[in-house]
Amino acid sequence: MIEVKHLVKKYGEHLAVDDLSFTLEKGQILGFLGPNGAGKSTTMNILTGYISATEGIVTINGHDIFDEPEEAKKCIGYLPELPPLYQDMTVREYLNFVADIKSVKKNEKRKMIDRIMRMTKITDVSERLIKQLSKGYKQRVGLAQAIIGFPEVIILDEPTVGLDPMQIIEIRDLIKELSKDHTIILSSHILSEVSAICDKVMIINKGRLIVSDTPDNLSKHIGGSQGLHLEVKGEQADIKKALESIPEITKLEFEKSSKGGIVKLSAYSAEESDIREAVFYALSDAKCPIYDMHSTKMSLEDIFLELTQEKENVHVSKNSNRLFRRSKQKNEEELAALGEEINNQESEHKEEN
Amino acid sequence: MLAIFKKELKSYFTSMTGYVFIAFFLIIVGIYYAVYNLMNRVANFEYVLSGVSFIFILLVPILTMRLMAEDRKQKTDQLLFTSPVSIGKIISGKYFAVLTVFLIAMVIICFYPLILLQFGSVPLKTAYGTILGFTLLGAAYISIGLFISSLTESQLVSAVVSFVVILITALMDSLVNFLPADNRTCYIAFFIVVLLICWLLYSMMHNMTVALTAGVIGEAALTVIYVIKPGLYDGLLTKVLGWFSVIARFDTFTSGLLDLSSVVYYISVVFIFLFLTVQAIKKHRWN
Repeated sequence: MIEVKHLVKKYGEHLAVDDLSFTLEKGQILGFLGPNGAGKSTTMNILTGYISATEGIVTINGHDIFDEPEEAKKCIGYLPELPPLYQDMTVREYLNFVADIKSVKKNEKRKMIDRIMRMTKITDVSERLIKQLSKGYKQRVGLAQAIIGFPEVIILDEPTVGLDPMQIIEIRDLIKELSKDHTIILSSHILSEVSAICDKVMIINKGRLIVSDTPDNLSKHIGGSQGLHLEVKGEQADIKKALESIPEITKLEFEKSSKGGIVKLSAYSAEESDIREAVFYALSDAKCPIYDMHSTKMSLEDIFLELTQEKENVHVSKNSNRLFRRSKQKNEEELAALGEEINNQESEHKEEN
Repeated sequence: MLAIFKKELKSYFTSMTGYVFIAFFLIIVGIYYAVYNLMNRVANFEYVLSGVSFIFILLVPILTMRLMAEDRKQKTDQLLFTSPVSIGKIISGKYFAVLTVFLIAMVIICFYPLILLQFGSVPLKTAYGTILGFTLLGAAYISIGLFISSLTESQLVSAVVSFVVILITALMDSLVNFLPADNRTCYIAFFIVVLLICWLLYSMMHNMTVALTAGVIGEAALTVIYVIKPGLYDGLLTKVLGWFSVIARFDTFTSGLLDLSSVVYYISVVFIFLFLTVQAIKKHRWN
């Protein structure tokens, strides 16, 4: 459906997008995640043919966006970062205009516009001038514009910006509904949004793809190990002794702040093994009651923060930056190393406290 | 294309611009008409249009300043350039919309010679020939304004630059008379022009070899021609700059000639500037 190969965009010497490749099948929702200036909008502008790439190939539905722009653009609906609205038009006039330039058939036009206005809940402002609408409504008109003609690919740049929580949920449901027969790419820096609706997440920073996976797999694999947070009553030495008898545990971390004889600690094990039962019996044998036990699977938010911040620490010099870019294998190796580093950093952090 | 044409035309008449343009245009032409034709009792309508041709310097920038600049500023160009309509069609849609506003005013002006007809015999052929020339002149200026509007996102910059450029083309005729016409100065002037073109090439493409090759070939050709046949350079500067004098061609119409080469000239200007507009937008997308 969408195929992107070795996309590079340079602004003078500045690399905005650096060797980005991915494919997307029909009916999938892809989420672009990254801090401001990561190259999300640039990538989307290239995908939609608004700006051209320095290098690389983009094919939409088999049509190259650079060689057959009109054919490719017929398959795309695009909501840019700033909704492209004509302020002096009414909502209906505007959607009519968009339907015209997307060459929607005359006899279907009215019906389609009415349906889309119902979907995006803007029917009651249809006769108002766009400049008089609130930001949330403008955003929804922008979304309606992207859906017009029901193109096969819908690309949304931060679709829920400026909406209130209720509207965000509505728009999310709408996107999910649309994904049944459309391929959708959306970008966001709201992580819960991406993890809630996307089938696939791509985290980009400084134009480079850092990681690409399903939201579930991301949080599972990135840490490299599973953690268990425990609050146990008893002496630290006893607890340590009891837990060290369990072979699956790879690492123990004690937090310094223990109140009222309750020790807080984290126990890490290899990815697959479940140590909860063993921990329970070991501690009960040592007569140390467990007050709290929960797994510390990293949320998407943690991963995002760690990955995007770690990168900056790891690549202090430009040279290492280049090296990193060169081989994908290295990329993965470094990711694994990163996972460890994250754990180390966490422990340091805790000791500071 | 039709959708863009309709939308642009409508926006001229939902905002003030369209009305203001037509009103100013008709007032100024009306004043000249009253003074020249009615008060002085002259039957030649072409005098009015030839006297009033400075009007484009003021009114074309007002008409064209927002065309592309506003789209870029409001980011609505993202809608246009990601829609399945080619850039050429978008540009021509916009161009024909402005042209239509201008033509509305011209259609009203077509009635003026007929009013004169009430009072005696009027050289109608010359009058309508001049109206045709005037329309072509306007069409050419509008294409220049459209091109300038596509270079910036500020309407003010667009208007000021259009104003200056149209002013220069209007004054070109008198300016070139002050230029030296001997072959040596012309040779030096063209030498500098080629250097400038090379520098422009380099700044656009960042390719030293291309710019250098073009420069060396260009300068060599100029020098060879100068050595072999220096007579070719006599008055060349005046001639070349004369091509840019858009308004000079209009004089052939006012003197009662329907010169095909002038018609072709104006239509070529329109095409060249529409083409340049498309290229400017494509270039903007590359950066």
